[in-house]
Amino acid sequence: MSTATHRLDRADKAATGPAPAPVRRQERHRGGVGSRIFNGFSHVFLVVWALMVIYPLLWVVMSSFKDDAEVIREPLSLIPDKLHWENFGRAWTEGHLGAFFLNTVLVLVGSVTLTMLLGSMAAYALARFSFRGNRLIYYMFLSGLTLPIYLAAVPLFKGVYNTGVSFPLLGPNKHLMLILVYVAWSLSFTIFFMHSFFRTLPDSIAEAAQVDGASHTRAFFSVMLPMAKPGLISIGIFNVLGQWNQWYLPTLLMQSVAGEPKHQVIAQGLIELSVNQGYKSDWSGLFAGVTMAMLPVLIVYIVFQRQVQSGLTAGVGK
Amino acid sequence: MRHGVARFVTGFLALPVALYLFYVVWPFAQAAGYSLTDWGGYSDSQRFVGLDNYVRLFSDELIRKAFWHNVFFLVTVPLFTIGLALLLAFLLNVGGREDRAGIRGVFGSGLYKVIFFFPQVLSLVVVAVMWQQIYRSDEQGLINGLLIKIGLVDAANPIAFTADPEPFLGIPAVLWWLLLIAVWSGAGFYMVLFSAAMQSIPKDIYEAAILDGAGRFHTFFKVTLPLLRDTISVAWVYLGFIALDMYALVFVMTPSQGGPNHASEIFASVLNFTAFQKGQFGYACAMGVALAIFTILLAALQLRITRRDRIEY
Amino acid sequence: MSVTPEKSDLSRRILLQRAGAAGLLAIPAAGLLSACAGSEPSKSDGGGAAKSNDNPFGVEDGSAVKVVVFNGGLGDQWAKEDAVVFNAKHPKVTVNMSSTQKIKTEEQPKMATQPSDLVMNSGADMMDRSTLINEGAIEPLDDLLTAPAWDGAGTVADSLLPGTVGDGTQNGKFYVVNVAYTVWGNWYNAALFKKEGWTAPTTWDEFFALAPKIKAKGMAPYVHDAIHGYYPRWGLFASIWKAVGKQAVIDIDNLKDGAWKVDGVVAALQPWEKLVKDKLLLPGKLNHTQSQQAWLDGKAAFIQVGTWLKNEMAATIPPGFELTLSDYWSNSGDKAAKDVFAGSGEGFVVPSKAPNKAAAKEFLRAILSKEGSEKFAELTKSLASTKGSGDKVQDSALASANALMKNASSDLISVKFPDFYADLDKESQNLSEELMAGRLTAQQFVDKMQAAADKVAKDSSIKKQTRTA
Repeated sequence: MSTATHRLDRADKAATGPAPAPVRRQERHRGGVGSRIFNGFSHVFLVVWALMVIYPLLWVVMSSFKDDAEVIREPLSLIPDKLHWENFGRAWTEGHLGAFFLNTVLVLVGSVTLTMLLGSMAAYALARFSFRGNRLIYYMFLSGLTLPIYLAAVPLFKGVYNTGVSFPLLGPNKHLMLILVYVAWSLSFTIFFMHSFFRTLPDSIAEAAQVDGASHTRAFFSVMLPMAKPGLISIGIFNVLGQWNQWYLPTLLMQSVAGEPKHQVIAQGLIELSVNQGYKSDWSGLFAGVTMAMLPVLIVYIVFQRQVQSGLTAGVGK
Repeated sequence: MRHGVARFVTGFLALPVALYLFYVVWPFAQAAGYSLTDWGGYSDSQRFVGLDNYVRLFSDELIRKAFWHNVFFLVTVPLFTIGLALLLAFLLNVGGREDRAGIRGVFGSGLYKVIFFFPQVLSLVVVAVMWQQIYRSDEQGLINGLLIKIGLVDAANPIAFTADPEPFLGIPAVLWWLLLIAVWSGAGFYMVLFSAAMQSIPKDIYEAAILDGAGRFHTFFKVTLPLLRDTISVAWVYLGFIALDMYALVFVMTPSQGGPNHASEIFASVLNFTAFQKGQFGYACAMGVALAIFTILLAALQLRITRRDRIEY
Repeated sequence: MSVTPEKSDLSRRILLQRAGAAGLLAIPAAGLLSACAGSEPSKSDGGGAAKSNDNPFGVEDGSAVKVVVFNGGLGDQWAKEDAVVFNAKHPKVTVNMSSTQKIKTEEQPKMATQPSDLVMNSGADMMDRSTLINEGAIEPLDDLLTAPAWDGAGTVADSLLPGTVGDGTQNGKFYVVNVAYTVWGNWYNAALFKKEGWTAPTTWDEFFALAPKIKAKGMAPYVHDAIHGYYPRWGLFASIWKAVGKQAVIDIDNLKDGAWKVDGVVAALQPWEKLVKDKLLLPGKLNHTQSQQAWLDGKAAFIQVGTWLKNEMAATIPPGFELTLSDYWSNSGDKAAKDVFAGSGEGFVVPSKAPNKAAAKEFLRAILSKEGSEKFAELTKSLASTKGSGDKVQDSALASANALMKNASSDLISVKFPDFYADLDKESQNLSEELMAGRLTAQQFVDKMQAAADKVAKDSSIKKQTRTA
């Protein structure tokens, strides 16, 4: 059993590209025509799939520069007659994308951090200590993965509304409330995976820390948590993506009254654009909005892809 | 010492459990309570009806249909996603030429890995908007447009995609088209996952296999795949949850949200219709509870199956 | 212009109800959570002030009213104008207006807790009307009808187009205030027809005779939204009503035994079956905006849809395109060939738990005022349900609808069961799609509709409704 850090190293190497798989020189006879055909097939298949991924994305981006007439007349073309930047202006103002973007980032910073902190604390306690009710609590969290969220809509809204009466910051259309709701709804998934991760960490290290006189809490924060970093990263990525894409909870809980500051998140802005499109046929504005919501995430991903990939491997690898 | 542990455990669990109880368990507990009533969802009045709603479930044809569609996704989404992801990972890592240094990963595999991952970072809304245009059922659609242009599809008879209930292999076509979207979104992510896991397999294992004269396919199936079993089973569980929640795709992509003519109805779509359209919130809650029980059983089964001896290396 | 139909009612999914092309589940916009910003919900209905002719519900100065507008094909500008009208009489009452396309997603969870004061319940994502009424979630508004009109003689009821009160009435009480008036039929481009020398058909036979000429021009004769089943359903029911008469549809609405098997129903639907079989439909399963755009682009000659069409497609109507509405086609020997599919829609409701019901009703009075309804017609190019709203508007599409109404007989085509029974609503939408996709014959459609109706009739968990006229 290798340690997490060790695995991270290997994963890092893995992520940097094609590490030569080990085949001996004496196997060269295998490398003839068959190998070349296989290599060719690989390329064709990979290129086709890459096109299937890239082409729609590119097409959305390029369509966002067309005007409505062109979107309708030449829907398939990738090259617009003229760059209609005003589409972005419209999406920006009508879809409130700028503000919504900021709201989303603000909420996610809080919610993902808190999710990871609370999730790994709970997972750690559940994974490494036996006490009465351990299984009960674990399965309670686990069952959260199975419940259809729509069912909870009415009672959840009621609960948030009532809380808001005594604690305005926890009422509807408040960032703090959304953060806590996101955390609560992400705990199941986080605990499920962190739990199995903590179980794989060797006992000896925690024991060593104990011998050194560290409290359980200190052992967790200064020894176990750093060791779990690869897992934290990968589950953190899952949570960022999941919460970024979350639309049902914000739609339910983040409606703003006229006159109140708009606290909506980006998914809501996009949905607004998209549904508007059904009534006003502003195709180009919709594409522009989609592009604006999509590109930053893609860029962030491209910049951090190495970390994302290595974190993934390390976390779920074993 | 025992006392310290109790305090520590309480301290670590108090906040997460409290949050979870308040925002997740309590709303669901209420919903479970409603499943024993005839509540409509709009008022405060409701009547206790005992298990009537659950009894009704068993004679509900629509629910039965939806259940089998759910099972279809439950099987196919993980199967195809993982299959494709493994294939991609395999090609990327051992699809290259063989030379002195051995079998290489394919040229440009780093770039492919970045690209294939893209769909994972897109929000549902983006995916939906894109696929609506891809699947558009006239020559303005991406696929129909291309196929009509090169003459593979008749402009008078374009592909209907998610508006097509005709069975393919006994399953309505619309479900297959939805499946394609799900696989498209998920494959890249799991490819990266498998790919990295493959590369963390120690070289000496490969070398031993190669010494035995195994080719790359043989190596893949006999060596790589078994060593990836843990990763694959984690992926399977996660994809299983995704498969149970295909509702967003069904809602956005199909006519009449579950159509045409119920051909893409799944548990969640029936549940939503019953709760919010028919105003039978109590009955809908019973469906939700049944779905939850089904999922829990399934998850338990899955965990049992995968809890086998792991291969240590 | 004046439209004075006698009786009218509409399917509840009136104007613009569709899930936008993206059909996404929900929309944020500025939906509002009444009093959710922490204020204590008021226990009264907000009608604490002295009542007078100018303030029949006793709206209190200093109070606020939350109004949620469905921002669909009609937009929401007209509602903002109504707020101005309202504030002219009640300057000290704050109007908090927000608009959304996702009424149910946003409003339903609040109904039992803290609803808005006035909700325009419309669109694809609307709350089921029967459920709202059966659950006691919305307020009867009979006192609104007897209140004096805002800026005219008589009562509010007197100022409404006939049919509007009936449309909003269920179980003998008036619950839903429909503010728009819609006419349905087959649209065509009059400029194109003039250029080609075509005459717009009035019967199916004329249409089938014209169809080859249209096809010869590389154009599909007909198109409709093939994603939302209630679009084709309008046409199917227009045909049944025209051919077999009003009573046949009333019997269908009342789930009468064998109502679908009455002589003539199948025959009434057969032209639609032929339309599909003869490949006269534009290929492809397009949604509402896609199909409307295809029609505007000259890919199809006729499209069936309601009078909100012009406003919805305003941005992309090509210059010189003359949107013209004609009646659904009939057959010789039809019992009610002259009856037109029209009625009031876009219903406002006042939740029973609304904190300021008095102001909500007062706001409705403002919407139904002469001034407010004229603004409505001017901005939306659609008729309001208040008499005379379109008299001052110059618009060719509106004029064609008006001309159609003038020739109409006194009965207006309407279908009630989609309002009554959500199950049957969905089944009929599904089956309409299937019929128009050529997967069902008219006979099979009728058989399946009868079976679906029987199932609802037998289901004791569904509360039954009755249509009398």
